[in-house]
Amino acid sequence: MQIYLPIAELSLNLFFLIGIGGAVGFLSGLFGVGGGFLLTPLLIFAGIPPSVAVASVTGQVVAASTSGVLSYWRRGAIDLKLATFLAAAGVIGAFIGVLTFSALRSAGQLDLAISLGYLFFLGLIGALMLSESVRSIARRRQAGGNLREKLPGQHNWVHGLPLRVRFHRSRLYISILPVIGIGLAIGFLGAVLGIGGGFILVPALIYILRVPGSVVIGTSLLQVLAIMAASTVLHAVDSQSVDFILAISLMAGGVAGAQFGVSASQYLRGDQLRGLLALIILGVAIRFALSLLLTPADPYSMAVIGPGGAL
Amino acid sequence: MIARLCLAVVALLLACPCPALAQKLISALSDAQISITSGFSGHSLTLFGNVEPAIGSSDRVVTGPFDVVIVISGPVADRVVRRKERRLGIYVNTEEVTFRSFPTFYRVLASRRLSAIADETTLDENGLTPMSITMGSVPAGTSDARQFSEQLIRLMTEADRMGVAENAVRFLSDTFYTARAELPSDVPNGNFLAKTYVFKQGQIVATHAEAFRVRTIGFERFVGDAAHSYPLLYGLATVMVGLFTGWLGGALFRRA
Repeated sequence: MQIYLPIAELSLNLFFLIGIGGAVGFLSGLFGVGGGFLLTPLLIFAGIPPSVAVASVTGQVVAASTSGVLSYWRRGAIDLKLATFLAAAGVIGAFIGVLTFSALRSAGQLDLAISLGYLFFLGLIGALMLSESVRSIARRRQAGGNLREKLPGQHNWVHGLPLRVRFHRSRLYISILPVIGIGLAIGFLGAVLGIGGGFILVPALIYILRVPGSVVIGTSLLQVLAIMAASTVLHAVDSQSVDFILAISLMAGGVAGAQFGVSASQYLRGDQLRGLLALIILGVAIRFALSLLLTPADPYSMAVIGPGGAL
Repeated sequence: MIARLCLAVVALLLACPCPALAQKLISALSDAQISITSGFSGHSLTLFGNVEPAIGSSDRVVTGPFDVVIVISGPVADRVVRRKERRLGIYVNTEEVTFRSFPTFYRVLASRRLSAIADETTLDENGLTPMSITMGSVPAGTSDARQFSEQLIRLMTEADRMGVAENAVRFLSDTFYTARAELPSDVPNGNFLAKTYVFKQGQIVATHAEAFRVRTIGFERFVGDAAHSYPLLYGLATVMVGLFTGWLGGALFRRA
C-alpha cells in the first residue's frame, strides 16, 4: 500500500515504513539508543531526501524513546537528577549543532562531515565497547559464571574535578562539569550527525561517569528523548523538513518494536548487550568507511540548492 | 503566477519566427490540475490537438505532412552537480557546477525522431533538447560545462525527471494528433507548461502552450501548508504526537 509523503514529495510503501520503524524500535528498546544512526541511512537508501530523513527520524525517535522511558521509569531504572542535568546541557548543544549544520550545508561539505563524523564516532565507540564486553565475558567464563559485574577502576581523573553533586540513584558523588560536558557534546553531535546520540551516551555514562548498568539505559533514553524533542522543533523551524506522515508511520512500528526490545533486554546480560550493540555500530561504521574509500559507482551527484527564479 | 504564465504564452506566440501563418494549432490537455492524494502513484496526462487553417487564410484545408513536438517543463530550482575525486585517500566532492533556474521536470514528446523533424539549431533555439536546457542554465564561461551538463541529463533521466520520448505523439489523421505523458509519483508540486510546436518540412508553422498545475490536496496538503506556515506549532505538534504514540504503545503493550 503506497502512502504519499507531502514534505518528501514522493510515495512509499506504508508497510515498509512500519517495518523498518519496528525493527529499529526493537533495537532502541533493547540497547537504550535512539536508533537514528540506523534509521536515517535506511530512509536515505529508500530514496527520501537526506534532510527530510534526518528531520523526520527525530520525530520517530521521540515516540520510540518515550515508550522505552516509561518502561524503565516503572522499573525505577532512571536517575532523574542526572538525566535533567544531561538533558538541559544537551538541548543547548543541539541548538549550537543545528546552527553548525546550516553553516556546513552552505559550505557544500555536509555529506563529507557526516560521513567522517559517523565513521570516527561509530568506529571508536564500537571498537571500545566490543573489546570491553569481550574481556568482561571472558572474565566471567574464567570465574565460573558467577562474577559480580564490576567495572575496572572505580575512580578516574573525572572524580577529582570540583563542583561535586550527589546523584543518589546512581550512587555517585561527582563533579557536574563532566556531566554538562557530555550533555553538550551529545546534543551537538546529535544535531550535526542527525542522530539521537544514545550509542555515544551509553558508553560515556558507563566509562567516564561510572554510572551503574542498572540505570544507564533508562537515563540515557530520557536524555535522548529530550534532545530529539528539541531537535524536532528546531528542524521544523529551521529547515521545515519534518515530514509528519513519514514520522507517524515510523512511530507506529517503532513503539511496538521498542516494547519487545525492553522485554528482550531482561534476558540478556549487560556485557552481552554491549557486545551486540558494538557489532551493529561497527557494521555501520564499516559501511561509511567503504563509501569513503571505495571508488563510488557514480562519481557524480546532484542536489537542489535553492528555488530558482519564477517560471 | 497565472498572469505571468499568460504573458509568457503571449510572448512565445509573438516571438515565434514563423512567416505569415497558413495554419494554426488548436490543442488541449486532459487535466488542468493534477491533484496528489495519499494514494498517488503517478499520473498519465493526455495532450491532443488539431492543425487547422489560420483565421483569414485563403486555404480551406491545411496540407501536411506535419510533425509535432511537445515539451513539458515543470517549476524551476537551482541545482548543483558535484563530482567526487580521491583526495588524501578518501573520495570527496571536489568540482561542482550550478545550474540556475533549471526545470525540476522536463520531458519532450515527438511524433518521430527529433533529428528527422528539424535541424539541431532549430531544436536548440526552441529548447527542445535536454542539452539546450542544461547549457542555457550554466553561467557563461563555466569550465567543463558540457561534461557536467551530460551528467546532469543522465542523473535527471535516471530519476525519471527528464527524458525524450520519440514516437510518443501519434497522428490519428493528417492533422489530428494525440500524445500521452507519464508523470512519476514524485512529480514536483507547481506550475507546468506544455508547449506544442508544429513542424512542416523542418520549419515551425504553429505553436500553442497550455499551463497545468500539480498540487497536493487533502490532509497531505494541510500537512504541507502547516509545515511552512506554522513551523513552530508544527514541530511542537509532531513532538506531542510522538510522546502520545510512545505512551499509547507502552500502555497497550503493558497489558498484553
